[in-house]
Amino acid sequence: MIEIILFVSSVLFIFALKLFGRPSTAHRANTFAMLAMALAVFSAFNFDFSKYDSAFYITIVVSGLLGVLISKRVQMTQMPELVGLFNGFGGGASGAIAYVELSNNSLVMSDFFVAIFSMVIGVFTFSGSIIAVLKLRGKLNNVNTTIANIFSAFLPPLILLPAIWEEIEILSLEYFMLLSLVAGIIRVAVIGGADMPVVIAFLNSLSGIAAMSAGFIVNSIILIVAGALVGASGIILTLLMCAAMNRTLLDVLKGGFGGTAINNEYEKDPISTSPEDVAIQLSYAESVVIVPGYGMAVAQAQSAVKELTNTLKDKNIEVKFAIHPVAGRMPGHMNVLLAEVDIDYEDMFTLEDINSEFSTTDVVIVLGANDVVNPLARTDKDSPIYGMPILDVDLAKQVIVLKRSMSPGYAGIANPLFINDNAKMLFADAKEGLENIIKSFELV
Amino acid sequence: MEATFLLTLLITFLASFIGYELISKIPQTLHTPLMSGSNAISGITLIAAILIYPEAGESQLLKIIVLIAIAFATLNIVGGFSVTGRILEMFKKND
Repeated sequence: MIEIILFVSSVLFIFALKLFGRPSTAHRANTFAMLAMALAVFSAFNFDFSKYDSAFYITIVVSGLLGVLISKRVQMTQMPELVGLFNGFGGGASGAIAYVELSNNSLVMSDFFVAIFSMVIGVFTFSGSIIAVLKLRGKLNNVNTTIANIFSAFLPPLILLPAIWEEIEILSLEYFMLLSLVAGIIRVAVIGGADMPVVIAFLNSLSGIAAMSAGFIVNSIILIVAGALVGASGIILTLLMCAAMNRTLLDVLKGGFGGTAINNEYEKDPISTSPEDVAIQLSYAESVVIVPGYGMAVAQAQSAVKELTNTLKDKNIEVKFAIHPVAGRMPGHMNVLLAEVDIDYEDMFTLEDINSEFSTTDVVIVLGANDVVNPLARTDKDSPIYGMPILDVDLAKQVIVLKRSMSPGYAGIANPLFINDNAKMLFADAKEGLENIIKSFELV
Repeated sequence: MEATFLLTLLITFLASFIGYELISKIPQTLHTPLMSGSNAISGITLIAAILIYPEAGESQLLKIIVLIAIAFATLNIVGGFSVTGRILEMFKKND
């Protein structure tokens, strides 16, 4: 009976992934996955609920309620932090389980190594995720990479230490746990904020891998299957994010990229514009493309974006959104923020789908994005972002860059787009700037 | 024993492969709910916690550690599915 339940559960998980492939069916995917999860969890009890004491049931109920509460309250702009936190919880849970199994049972050789692996990955995911969340909340600045390099150099001897020093051997489980904890903290601490999409996706993958290996320890096929699915999903997103920055995963994890201004010199002053002029410019356009970036999320400008979109559409102006894969702080971050304010997902375009259209676009509005529209990625071989696929907004007829100042983006370099002949700067906070443009429309 | 271990490895490989194929087809627009949804699924480690809880009961410390794992995993599952549902609802109404 249990086997049948587990079989159904595995199949449901796989169907859930299939349904996830289209926005219109994706909400059903969630229902499928929930059902699969419920069946899997139910089966673990093996119809014997009396083996469990009240502490067990209270923990489940309280943390379940807490989960509901958090998920109802979280704002869409905080999704990266939430996902980061949950990655940490998942990893932490698997790590804790592996630790208990290692100290409680005499495991056979293969299980022993899988359990060590699960513990190390789980604990690393836990501490790394907590640091990632602190970074996303702006509570932690970049840490100098020297510390991380010293730690990495000493890691092999530190791992071998228990083998030669007998006093530690008794404590070697705790010792390895501590090492993984510190490794997670140091590794993520050196990685900059705009690389967080990669980090979050990578930790997501690790939390799945930790769960999968926990499945090996307790001999649970469903745990292995579900863990493998999560691991695969995280790896795909990680690689997509890396490709979108033309960097390798290793290079991102090495840290130390960006965050400091390398070169922010401009040959000439940019042309600055006013909300009134932008409104006039827009009202003569037939097609407008909006390029949202992290600045939109920071300024909470989604509603203003929606309002401007409505204003333009009322005037029969075509409005599209061009979303770079690494815009924001997690994969798909911008899409969710736009969906939240009812912008049709049919109007959101990926880099590949929209890049050929910029040359025929009348006006592009760059909203709090910088490096992802920097033409140096195409032209300057010495630039740190050279080769990164960018949105070719500089090819549009006119470009309006809504930005608070000329300060460089994450890569720390000047963006020649800002002084391009077809570009004008509207210096303002994303939300304020948009609201002023909308107000000016009433006067046009 | 060897044969079952190999069979388990085969299942692991197949699951990863299917996962890779299906997830590659998911559009960029849904990447955030995909992450929060897979977050929820990684909470499946709750099963392992449920399985080992009765054995861990003898040591108070280990019992507490398993309870922490249970709390983490449950939060993951319930919070993850709930927030994913919330996000996907926003995409649904556009249809």
